[in-house]
Amino acid sequence: MYYIHTISSISNQDSFRNNDVYSSLRKFDAENDVVAPDYKEFIPRNALRRLSPILRMGLTCAMECQKNTNAEFDSIVVGTALGCLKDTEKFLTNFITSTSDFLSPTAFIQSTHNTIGGQISLGLSNHSYNMTHTQNNLSFEVSLIDAMLCINDGKKNVLVGAAEEKIPFLENLQPNIVADTHPLASGASFFVLTDEKKSIGIKKVDALFNIQSVENEIKRFLATENLTVNDIDLVLTSNNIELSFEKTIHYLQHTGLHYSASAFATHVGHDFLKSNPANNVLVVNHLCNDKLGLILLQKG
Amino acid sequence: MEIFITGYGLISSIGIGADETILSLRNEKSGITKGSNDFSSKYLVGEIKFSDNELKERFGIMQNCSRTALLGMIAAKQAFEGHSISEEIKTGLISSTSVGGMDVSEKEFRKYLQDGKQDLSQYKHHSSGVSSEQIAKELGIKGFVNTISTACSSAANALMMGARMIQSGMLDRVVVGGTDALTSFTINGFKSLMIFDEDWCKPFDNSRKGLNLGEGAGFVVLESEKSMQLSKQKAVANLSGWSNASDAFHQTASSPDGQGAQLSMTEALKVAGLTPDDIDYINAHGTATPNNDLSESQAIKSIFKENIPPFSSTKALQVILWLHRVELKLFFRFLQLTMDICIRI
Repeated sequence: MYYIHTISSISNQDSFRNNDVYSSLRKFDAENDVVAPDYKEFIPRNALRRLSPILRMGLTCAMECQKNTNAEFDSIVVGTALGCLKDTEKFLTNFITSTSDFLSPTAFIQSTHNTIGGQISLGLSNHSYNMTHTQNNLSFEVSLIDAMLCINDGKKNVLVGAAEEKIPFLENLQPNIVADTHPLASGASFFVLTDEKKSIGIKKVDALFNIQSVENEIKRFLATENLTVNDIDLVLTSNNIELSFEKTIHYLQHTGLHYSASAFATHVGHDFLKSNPANNVLVVNHLCNDKLGLILLQKG
Repeated sequence: MEIFITGYGLISSIGIGADETILSLRNEKSGITKGSNDFSSKYLVGEIKFSDNELKERFGIMQNCSRTALLGMIAAKQAFEGHSISEEIKTGLISSTSVGGMDVSEKEFRKYLQDGKQDLSQYKHHSSGVSSEQIAKELGIKGFVNTISTACSSAANALMMGARMIQSGMLDRVVVGGTDALTSFTINGFKSLMIFDEDWCKPFDNSRKGLNLGEGAGFVVLESEKSMQLSKQKAVANLSGWSNASDAFHQTASSPDGQGAQLSMTEALKVAGLTPDDIDYINAHGTATPNNDLSESQAIKSIFKENIPPFSSTKALQVILWLHRVELKLFFRFLQLTMDICIRI
């Protein structure tokens, strides 16, 4: 078991510094992208000006997690499918349309996926392991796998999370390239995994490719933990599944569409276990065709 | 648990495959020339002098893909030669890239900005994860796929992740490496940082002024002992130590004392159970920017003190932007492989 010490999420829901995100879930609010905290509390004003939404969200969640953790993180693992889109688009536009020989480097510097992890290490003056994974809709799941390996390697406080930001351009790509027709959204969720016993943890994670049947894969996954569909108290899923679960939440209806929404679903699952007489929560991420992410949360 | 390297492949401006590359290095043949694309023609770059179509034809690649994915397929296929897919060997692919399919996106986006027309379907190549999934498909790998994106340290991080997954038993065999095509995006980006040398780059030279950009890909196959017995492949080397640490100094510059590099070299030696005296050669990042080479030299001095082993950077001959380490180790046939990584932030 990989225990969860603390979680911080910024999303379309009122999730930041909310102790029970599960109970306060509401429908997606198309008027607002995310319910943002006052970033000035976390990031100096002059730095804030230059940071894109994904960097603000990632850095703020990481700092909030650090505030709730006594020791410095000894690993930082970040997942993002599409990364820093706003600065990528900005730099593309800048160099394609510019007639000057001099370009501002800020957007370029902040366009790479690892800027999120980099800003976190800079913001926390943290010299530890720092990794960025980008695997489409499974970016959070592969990051979790890395974080679990860090705990296996003897690390004690591992920050792991995922972040995405939307830009209007993405709407052009729905639904053919960006799967699904839910309204696009942004979001970030960060977790601290620890080797110390806590009340709730992540039992198992799988990132699967070229799958034939979601239902069979779920059954196989649960069987490796001696569980069946009947043992799952809550399933949080991106798509319809042809299996009958006790209770189902379609999480994209709450997060909107972004490729790391399963990280937010994991946050919801954690809070559900905390406040209900339940033992097992399954997060099913089948946003893209033949790829499947499965996360099993359990009471400790 | 020992991690064995049982295959390798690479493509860069100085050659396709290990033999060609080693020959170029021995003869000190540089691959850095004036660029042949509209966006690269003003610069000295390490370009691969074949078009996408020429490469696809030569290597029998049918997939519609970005140049980043294509270079990755060529190098990964070489690395995987002699290997075959088997139910008994849990096989994965961990690639890495910084630009992903930007070579495709930037062309479409330019059309969009200039004439308001674009082929939206082309953006399917943009996501870095897609390039890795396509490389896996080319090799017939249906299992775990992952992409790492940490700029210059990407490919080394892919090796490390692969080794750790084998140690944990999640995989028995994993093809690891990295790929990046030369793009207008990166050329303009590094131009905006003003760290280009208009001449050939000169790593660790007193007159060093900056870097040249290039493109390429390099992959190796990592296996556990159990996997090697089944695949019947021979080990060319072991991967014995690795580490990743963050300099946490500046977004684009290295600290003057190379703290991140010191931390990662120290830890990599520890993981390998070696001391600095055991190291026979260091392949340095050596970008030829004054800042990098100073930082790296200080870090090497602090670890190796009076007994600094021979070290070099082959950037003067072959420039592979952002993920060069894998290939370099190959040239020395992995005599002693200790990965060290410093994420430059």
